[in-house]
Amino acid sequence: MNLQVVYCNYHTADLNVRERLAFPADRLGEAYSQLRANFPNTELVVLSTCNRVELYAAQENPSQAPTHQQLAQFLSEFHKVPINDFFNDLLEQTGPDVVRHLFQVAASVDSMVLGEPQIVAQVREAYRLATENQASGPVTNALFERALNVSKRVRTETSLAEGRVSIASVAVGDFGKSIFDRFDDKVVLILGAGQMAEEALRYLADEGAREILVANRNPDRAQNLAHDFGGRVVAWEQLDEWMAAADVIVSTTGADRPIVDVRRFRPIREVTGEKTVFILDLGAPRDFDPAIRDLDENVFLYSIDDLQEICDRNRKARQREVEKALAIIEQETDAFMAALSHRATGPIIKRLREQWEEVSITETKRLFDKLPHLDARDRAEIEKTIERMVNKLLHPPLEALRDEAREGTPHGLMDALRRLFGIRD
Amino acid sequence: MLSFLGRVEVFCFLASYLIVFGLELSRLLLGRSQVSRAVRVFFAVAGFIAHTAYLLARATETNLPPLLSSTRDWMLVLAWLLVLCYLALTLWKPDLAVGVFLLPLVLIVISTGYLVSSDVNPQLAPVAGFRRSLGMIHATFLVLGILGVVVGFVLAMMFLYQQRRLKQHQSLQEGFGLPNLEKLARLNRAAVMVAVPLLTLGFVTGVWLGLEGDERIRFSDPIVIGNGIVWLGMAAVFVRLLTTRKATGKHVASLTLWAGGFLLLTLIGLQILTGTELFNLETWHTTLPVEQDFKFASPAEPAHHQRVSGPHRQTDRTEIPRLSWLAGRGSSFIDLRPQR
Repeated sequence: MNLQVVYCNYHTADLNVRERLAFPADRLGEAYSQLRANFPNTELVVLSTCNRVELYAAQENPSQAPTHQQLAQFLSEFHKVPINDFFNDLLEQTGPDVVRHLFQVAASVDSMVLGEPQIVAQVREAYRLATENQASGPVTNALFERALNVSKRVRTETSLAEGRVSIASVAVGDFGKSIFDRFDDKVVLILGAGQMAEEALRYLADEGAREILVANRNPDRAQNLAHDFGGRVVAWEQLDEWMAAADVIVSTTGADRPIVDVRRFRPIREVTGEKTVFILDLGAPRDFDPAIRDLDENVFLYSIDDLQEICDRNRKARQREVEKALAIIEQETDAFMAALSHRATGPIIKRLREQWEEVSITETKRLFDKLPHLDARDRAEIEKTIERMVNKLLHPPLEALRDEAREGTPHGLMDALRRLFGIRD
Repeated sequence: MLSFLGRVEVFCFLASYLIVFGLELSRLLLGRSQVSRAVRVFFAVAGFIAHTAYLLARATETNLPPLLSSTRDWMLVLAWLLVLCYLALTLWKPDLAVGVFLLPLVLIVISTGYLVSSDVNPQLAPVAGFRRSLGMIHATFLVLGILGVVVGFVLAMMFLYQQRRLKQHQSLQEGFGLPNLEKLARLNRAAVMVAVPLLTLGFVTGVWLGLEGDERIRFSDPIVIGNGIVWLGMAAVFVRLLTTRKATGKHVASLTLWAGGFLLLTLIGLQILTGTELFNLETWHTTLPVEQDFKFASPAEPAHHQRVSGPHRQTDRTEIPRLSWLAGRGSSFIDLRPQR
């Protein structure tokens, strides 16, 4: 059995390379058709996310397994990208390293954000699509199902996924959700239309935020962001009115000095009363004067520095869990490889046993025909003795095969057994 | 098994709850731990079973529901209800750190129970029928009202802790979950809104109970005065919440904390003042432990003598009726007349 993965990820390739090699969901069916045509009898699974593009292959006959070059060629032809543009970024793993790699990916040990949960869903989806496109097979099915179980085990037995590690997730998950019970009845005001605002907005939208207002000096960018999240653009000139209406304010304007200071915010609080307001100042430098948080006890203002400190602490805590996760992965890899090799040696063991049993039955019958005076008890004793002899004679070769199988499929020994005992497939 | 449960002491469940509280505190240092959680739940359930068995044994012993039998039992019922709330919340939401806030109150209530009398209330004990039912309603409303106040008090503490954490930008410890401010404020308000009407009903039925029967309540009774002040305080909070527009969460939490704290302090203080020999405050509600001979008898058997720590102070009464709470049910009764 030949297991293989050819891949590029955020460790090896720049985003522009990964983007060009990524498989959009609507083209995966076409990709699988071509893969099946190019590599018949090979099990294949494509895992394509924003951080990685990976092609997993399993082939019963090593001589028919696709080569690194062939899979790179496929990527080049499918995406119409010259092979030289990415070949050096493409890595290959085989055998147990493939299993270890997939387990690390699924357990989020190999993720850019250690322990992030999305990768499990992405692995599950990749496996589902491969099955749907009839590209996976018994080995890849077992491999991916095991990978999902390993991921679950790592999450259960370690704290790898605990504590949020991105600024936006800490802001919304640790603080926003501790302030508000729900977001679907809250007004969310976005100042600026930067990437950080978009990320925070994504988390807020996931929590149910519906009334989203975007204010930006450049109305076009505001329009795009508002459109993406079903919000609306409001005039920058009426900012104070909208700040009074908002329950959540996310600011990433990129201004070089605070745009809202105490003098500006105090009249707003006089209008709103002591309504709870959650302000996420994701601008660097800050958009809100830190003194605003002391205006009253219902103003909850968080700057990027406040959040970064928590992210760093959580990231360090996760890092401490990596060793535990890797130990689990190592154990699971060994178990999977042993099961896989036993699966490969299974048919030869079965055939050898059958062959020897056939011989023993034939010879016993011949003996009983020659000695008709033997009673049932004697016959049973002779049958038992012959069975024990067969088992004892078979034990050393089969044990050697099992031992070898622990290190991978023992092709050499299997060939030797076939030749020595005349086993025909 | 039943005889074993009958031998349960207050110390058994007090110790269990103390261990649970220690494990709850350890969550602040150790974070989430499945083992710690399992041990916590084990001790909480064990304590709760022992607590229930103790109350049942007391009910059998006194032939009275624990709410009526004695001041100590009444307080233990309050603690039992609080532990029930704790267990339900712990099993429903394992990460919720409600125990850190609730269990100290449970421990205080049970410990206070140690200081007060466990003797049968002489004013309620010898009556049956309507007066007994009224007494039961009075005690039930009061205990549920106080439960509401305690729950509000706990919610207020959680609110203030959560708000302080959020203002200081502290991340919440894994496994030490608290509800969000919006929910805490809403629940806190609801607790006060439910507790005050229940306390009012408890107070009204108490006055009614005092006016029923031969021996009328004295309005100079320290428990009546104390409870009246507490009720006025809670009613003031209630009215304030109803009339203040857009009361902030912190406003509600602070009011509840002060009013609830005052209520608990007053109630516990009054029970200690009136329930122990040390202060010798006379009240209609409770009794001092006076060693006296009383006769336990069953309707089916001839009366025999048994020495009990029994009621009560009003020994000047010439005629004390026999206790027969479960009259008509063939149950035992206590003859409260001092034996000569």
